[in-house]
Amino acid sequence: MIKTNMYALIVSATVGSLCLATPALAQVDAEEVFKENDCHKCHHATKAKKGPSLAKIAAKYKDKKLDEKEAMKHMTGGKKVKLDDGTEEDHKIIDTKDVAVQTAVAKWMLNR
Amino acid sequence: MKKRALMIGISLSAIAAGCASVATGPQAINWDKVPATKVALFYPGQSSYQWLRSEAHAGAAKETARGDACTSCHDDPKEEQRQGAKILSGKHPLEPHAAAIKGKNGHIDMTVQAAYDDKNAYLRFQYKTHNPNHPGNDYPGYRFDGKEWKAFGGMRLNKNVLAGKTATVYENRVNIMLDDGKVPGFAQQGCWLTCHDGERDMQKEPTKDQVEANALMKAIKKSDVRKFIPGTRTNPMDWSTGKPLEEIAKMKANGEFLELMQWRAHRSDKVGGADDGFVLEYRNFDAGKNHFNSNMDSKTKLPKFMFDQAKAGTKAYTAGDYGKKEMILIKGANAVPFDPNAGWKEGDILPQYILSAEDAAGSAADNKALSEWKNGVQTVVFIRPLGLANADDKALKPGGVYNVGFAVHDDNMTGRGHHVSYTKTLGIGAKADITAVKLN
Ligand code: HEC
Ligand code: HEC
Repeated sequence: MIKTNMYALIVSATVGSLCLATPALAQVDAEEVFKENDCHKCHHATKAKKGPSLAKIAAKYKDKKLDEKEAMKHMTGGKKVKLDDGTEEDHKIIDTKDVAVQTAVAKWMLNR
Repeated sequence: MKKRALMIGISLSAIAAGCASVATGPQAINWDKVPATKVALFYPGQSSYQWLRSEAHAGAAKETARGDACTSCHDDPKEEQRQGAKILSGKHPLEPHAAAIKGKNGHIDMTVQAAYDDKNAYLRFQYKTHNPNHPGNDYPGYRFDGKEWKAFGGMRLNKNVLAGKTATVYENRVNIMLDDGKVPGFAQQGCWLTCHDGERDMQKEPTKDQVEANALMKAIKKSDVRKFIPGTRTNPMDWSTGKPLEEIAKMKANGEFLELMQWRAHRSDKVGGADDGFVLEYRNFDAGKNHFNSNMDSKTKLPKFMFDQAKAGTKAYTAGDYGKKEMILIKGANAVPFDPNAGWKEGDILPQYILSAEDAAGSAADNKALSEWKNGVQTVVFIRPLGLANADDKALKPGGVYNVGFAVHDDNMTGRGHHVSYTKTLGIGAKADITAVKLN
């Protein structure tokens, strides 16, 4: 089963308000930011879509002892990613420059 | 996720109050016993076949072009809700008129149920109308300007409505598009296969002259571009590349077309009908005669019918009556032949269509419908005969599984201004997303 908290309805913080000052991490709704940025359309909790599943990414990071800093590079760098069919594409760039929000999203991803 | 949805217990016998036989037939179905499936519909804006295959559909153009299912990516439990809200946010290129339709709901949660007996399939839909105070059964009219009868009113995205030159008025509709597996890609991409740049109110809409100069459009005598399936074009990315009629006729004979059924709050509801059409090179109506007909005499440029003063209490309406009075003209019920000398005043309005259950005939008259709008909830039951053998119909058969897409035109919308669902499967007594149960 997919973790139920993945789908919990949280409407608290909007991305706009997050961009002010430096909000406490606890207030960042990382899942909402992730979905508002369309990340979920390529990264499913457990299923391989166009991008690897969150479970797979988390397992890889654990295995290779990588942390959220590495994940943040992927969501901000717009680096080329290799697809299954051998072609390459620029990776999506998250729409916030707020490091606190990026960190929250990365941690959320790696905790799946 | 729970598929069984909470039921709003409107029984069909209540709906059928006023209909003839209440004890038997579709009116007697106890819908409380029929499983209900929740289907989400979202406002798609101008997400055409072409847009979906362009770089604007970031990271998905190639996948869509190769035929991947929309829901292989768009599968979040709240996906339709998110997508509709995003498109209407005012910041999304898919809806250039977002400001003009501010407040429009981005998605609709619809409940779908299905049943069948030896004769018919019964498809029941329920959704909350965005306007809780009106059933959406008004329709544009012909307004007398002192000299001539001219079209009056239009849907929200109509150019004259956007320019503030005419009133906002259009009927609600519930629509079903159905494929029996013969249209390549429909199972994966559903209604979006038929939505193209160049169609009415879409990007790159051609002029009437351009359409009329096109070979296929000339051959089918049309002056606008409407829904079509990709196979009818040599280049599916371009509406103007229609194949020769013989090839299109071959596709039809092979069953390569989509069924399209529409319940209309103004033009079919009062006479118990739902139109029967099909999408091939155009959005066509089936052969025969529809439940509604134009109320304009093309030669005299005068309406054909007016209201019967004795029955309707008036011979015409005015703009101020929209939203307040029911302005539906029905042959044999409240209509009499138009009298040009009845003392018409500037501002008098007559309906653009005249309805008749008796006049409806042939394949176009196959579908029936029952409906009720109560407490802001619209209920519609389509009644579709099983095993239709007409050349323009998809036959529904026990054991059959079909791909279906649903759309709702709500709150004064037509054309692209609807909410649309991703594809679902419908099984007639067979396991599917929506399974029609056998009645006994
Ligand atoms: C169009 C599809 C697509 C979208 C949208 C997308 N990604 Fe990716 N993502 C990929 C692909 C493909 C990879 C690369 C996999 C590889 O290189 O092995 C990837 C890799 C990643 C990785 C690195 C995983 C690793 O193995 O190091 C992270 C982190 C990531 N994405 C986060 C995000 C975030 C956050 C978003 C939203 C801002 C996002 N992605 C949106 C397709 C996508
Ligand atoms: C390969 C994955 C994928 C497939 C397949 C796919 N989409 Fe998308 N779609 C996306 C992504 C990712 C976005 C967000 C693009 C952006 O704005 O950056 C998107 C955006 C959209 C949008 C704009 C609103 C929004 O959610 O951002 C619509 C509408 C849409 N897709 C409809 C469809 C339809 C209809 C199909 C099937 C014909 C389809 N998509 C197939 C991944 C996909």
